[in-house]
Amino acid sequence: MSKISTLSEAVSSIPSGSHISLSGFAITRCAMAFAREVIRQGLKELTLSQCVGAMDADLLVGAGAVNRLIYGGGSLDRFGRLASVNRGIEQGLLIAEEYSSLSVAFRYLAGSLGLPFIPIRSLRGSDLMKQLEEKYPGDVAEVDDPFTGKSWKVLRPLNPNVAVIQVQSADEEGNAWIMGPRWDNVEQAKASKRTILITENIISNKTIRQNPERTVIPGLFVSHVVQLPFSAHPTSVYREYDYDSKAIEEYVEASKTPESFKEYIDRTIFAVKGHEEYLKLMGSKTNLRSLRADPALGY
Amino acid sequence: MTFEYTPSELMAVAGARELKDRQVVAVGLGLPVVASFLAKQTHAPNMTILFELGVINPQPIHTGVGLADPRVWYQAEVLSSFVDILGSILHSGRVDVGFLGGLETDKYGNLNTSLVGDPHGKFRHMVGSGGANDIASCAQRTVIIIRHEAHKLQHVCGSRRQRGRLLQTQHGGDDVADTPVRLVEIRVRDHDAASLASRAQHESTGGVVLGQPLHRREDQRVMREHKLAAEARRLVQRRIVDLE
Repeated sequence: MSKISTLSEAVSSIPSGSHISLSGFAITRCAMAFAREVIRQGLKELTLSQCVGAMDADLLVGAGAVNRLIYGGGSLDRFGRLASVNRGIEQGLLIAEEYSSLSVAFRYLAGSLGLPFIPIRSLRGSDLMKQLEEKYPGDVAEVDDPFTGKSWKVLRPLNPNVAVIQVQSADEEGNAWIMGPRWDNVEQAKASKRTILITENIISNKTIRQNPERTVIPGLFVSHVVQLPFSAHPTSVYREYDYDSKAIEEYVEASKTPESFKEYIDRTIFAVKGHEEYLKLMGSKTNLRSLRADPALGY
Repeated sequence: MTFEYTPSELMAVAGARELKDRQVVAVGLGLPVVASFLAKQTHAPNMTILFELGVINPQPIHTGVGLADPRVWYQAEVLSSFVDILGSILHSGRVDVGFLGGLETDKYGNLNTSLVGDPHGKFRHMVGSGGANDIASCAQRTVIIIRHEAHKLQHVCGSRRQRGRLLQTQHGGDDVADTPVRLVEIRVRDHDAASLASRAQHESTGGVVLGQPLHRREDQRVMREHKLAAEARRLVQRRIVDLE
């Protein structure tokens, strides 16, 4: 069954207040076109989760679409901090449940396996754990190992309403390939009630069947397949295109104050009708074709 | 004989010296990346380099902006996931050395990567843990590499809550770490410092705090600057050492 749909259809399937797990990692494979459409459609009070905070989450937080963020810290690598997320935390406007990378990954893993909780060695003795125990006692606990009697910190599983995963290639049914490291994306998709794929390329089911070991997200987890070129722009997609340094620097500059951020989203999101117009706007400054990855290098 | 090198390059050399051949090393953002590649290309060719997001033993030929940059994944032997690297390899106890940078540390090796506070109780949120807490909690030994500045090397961590800092202990299974660690300090002599790049002032020396118990006072040794300078020249490859 074909699950091909438009970005607008896929986003409008998500009600405000949903928990969305996003596929970005800092400045790579971020669900940017998706985030821009969420802002355009005016979704509010979202919960976002990802192992390492990325540009897709920062954009949504800056636009006021997010109440709560579950993450393991993050940045825009050398381009800068997650200014909107940090401002939200510093001003107490954003509920930020802060973990380490592996603890969020383990929460997804437990969610994907249908486990009631998952023990972890991390966090013990840290102020991160202290903060979690004080503010979010429903998500962390301590149990004794029934076999050895040793005490373990345990985490509650995560089961987001929807995972939004940016991939290189998928077929119409949502069987997907992710090239390069997959960080938490596979666990996110499998822990979530359903998955929306944003893919650079649609490949045939025949191609999927010729390379079945490459399928990392089976179609059965997927509700929508949206094909959009450069949909992670200005972040990178391994073997497709590089990050757009100029556009990320522009974002970093804009996110320094709420006022300049508002001007930025007015200009790059509200003033353009959709992804195509966004690319035209960006293409006027950067030759998008120059970002295309060298097949030998992958970037 | 004089050599041109920056304090960061010197720190990378000292950091590389902490890694041994055949070790499995979980590498954090920043200087640890440079130091690990340096070690692997010189005295530790059989060392295994792990990046949290799912990368094993890459051989980059271009400088990246961070771990998310495909430039640093180039020619990797494995590209997988958090659960693979931080789970199956780190959480299971197979990592010999965790190698981390951070915002500040203390003599016990507690590491802060999240909040910077001021005496008025205000704070700024910085990067956060990422895999740092996992690495410090699960690696057999943790090495922290951090620039030696007063605000980065705290004497004690006792007042951390009042100052609004988030510290992460390196010792998994314990509460906040309370065993002093060995401190290696690299000091650049005053007249050398003057000849370094203009941004380098002599008080801004590099320091490496090692996750090992402090046995003797002599362990707090000051390294010989000339020996290090010679090594810096021999070891540092400018193509990779392109910091800040």
